[in-house]
Amino acid sequence: MSSIENNSDSVKTTSYKVVLPFYIYAALAFLTASIFVFLHSTDFNGHYFQPHLLAITHTMALGWATMIILGSCHQLVPVLIEGKLHSEGLAKATFIFAAIGIPLLVYAFYFFELNIVAIIGGSLIVFSILLFFINLSMSISKSKKENVHAAFIFTSSLWLLITVSLGLLLIYNFTHLILSKSSLQFLSLHAHIGIIGWFSLLVIGVSSRLIPMFLISKYNNSKLLWVIFVLINSALIIYILFYFSFLHSILTVASIALFLIAIFLFVKHIYASYIQRIRKKVDEQMQLSLLSILMLFFPIIISIILIAISLYFKTGSNKVVLLYGFMIFFGWLTAIILGMTFKTLPFIVWNKVYHNKASQGKTINPKDLFSSKIYKMMAFSYIISFLFFCLGLFLPLHLFLKVGAVILILTALLYNLNVFKILLHKTEK
Amino acid sequence: MDVETNNDFKCTMALGFLENVYDPEIGLNVVSLGLIYKIMFNEEKKQIDCTMTLTTQFCPMGESITSNVKNTVQENFKDYTVELILTFEPAWSYDFISEEGKEFLKR
Repeated sequence: MSSIENNSDSVKTTSYKVVLPFYIYAALAFLTASIFVFLHSTDFNGHYFQPHLLAITHTMALGWATMIILGSCHQLVPVLIEGKLHSEGLAKATFIFAAIGIPLLVYAFYFFELNIVAIIGGSLIVFSILLFFINLSMSISKSKKENVHAAFIFTSSLWLLITVSLGLLLIYNFTHLILSKSSLQFLSLHAHIGIIGWFSLLVIGVSSRLIPMFLISKYNNSKLLWVIFVLINSALIIYILFYFSFLHSILTVASIALFLIAIFLFVKHIYASYIQRIRKKVDEQMQLSLLSILMLFFPIIISIILIAISLYFKTGSNKVVLLYGFMIFFGWLTAIILGMTFKTLPFIVWNKVYHNKASQGKTINPKDLFSSKIYKMMAFSYIISFLFFCLGLFLPLHLFLKVGAVILILTALLYNLNVFKILLHKTEK
Repeated sequence: MDVETNNDFKCTMALGFLENVYDPEIGLNVVSLGLIYKIMFNEEKKQIDCTMTLTTQFCPMGESITSNVKNTVQENFKDYTVELILTFEPAWSYDFISEEGKEFLKR
């Protein structure tokens, strides 16, 4: 008889049964979104507030990015907060409600029927995120150590809850005017609470821990991360507080400036980790994740151009808004997910398949659970499709948009191929 | 990092076996990584107390690594009962990696 004594709870991680459905859902949502992009590429030459573009944006933001982040959060929260996940049951419920709510919402946007279907879909999503927030709060409250990564993940999930709640309110406001202004006027607010509060805060909080960990870097600077945390939240709060003020444009510049400083400091943090790394070889997944950090500067530059246009020409630029949104969802977020999926998923599946078997002879390496060749093709096709689409939006040239969309489908297919290759892996006999 | 023991010979044997247990993410074995702190042999009780750590608490690969360490020692010392003690005191640091391990990571 043998046993693991003391701190045995410290080796209990979240079950793969909780995490894997999120990855599967996200992979299929990415493929769906890329097909939508292909089918409706002409819509990208028009106004950004269009049914198909709303459907694509929400498939990408919720089905792709949020679902995979929620899945990996359930796995990584214990590492980040140094404590157990409060409830796997709540995590499963989070998945079920979001998995039903997202397609209902996307359907409602796609056919622009902002009726009961949209309300039900939106409500299910809000409920799902509320459960995630409760689960996370309980986990953090039980954790013995306070750390900056827990602050990032907690605050970002609070912003996510605010984003989806506001989104639901805006859907309701379309048909029953309950707000003093039309829903359209709140869109930028809704989008930026999500982009800055949820995505950027979460991605920065998680990658500031994971990237040094994967690089095996000695570098650690909690103070710098606290400064970044305060800067990003201040930027967002200023943006929200003065959203309807006459000072909005000027103070948005201040918000962007604070956010830009935060991003520079984050880049500094990652660069220091990279320089002080013990492991010299940086694998392809990490290369794409590092590239995604640089891709964050593109939408920031575009947002500065947008502000300049609105200040000097007293008008918005639809083309630049679309480019801005595309660079966030299909650029920065997609790049980091494409890289990080293959830094996390193979280990989750390896743990499932080879747990307890490594001592019974040589086992396959987790990184061999997916095809490196397919991964390289995926990364290459992704960069090409991104460039084509950005040029197609900027010039604007519909042919470039169509070619970019076809290559994006190829990227999504290659991604799915590798994800399912990992998921369907069985022990070699 | 030196491994504390009360039986140098058997401890060296155990460490030799444990060199086949890898951290799958880092690609280094648990001995070179400096995860093994102590291997104590109780000849009266026929028990081996193996004290080890992980690179981080709640490491997603932690359960797999600890059970593989336990199984490896157990399979090679069949007359003994193995008790695996997981500790985070002291917390693992990069300085615990052996020189050979550091050379491997620099490649």
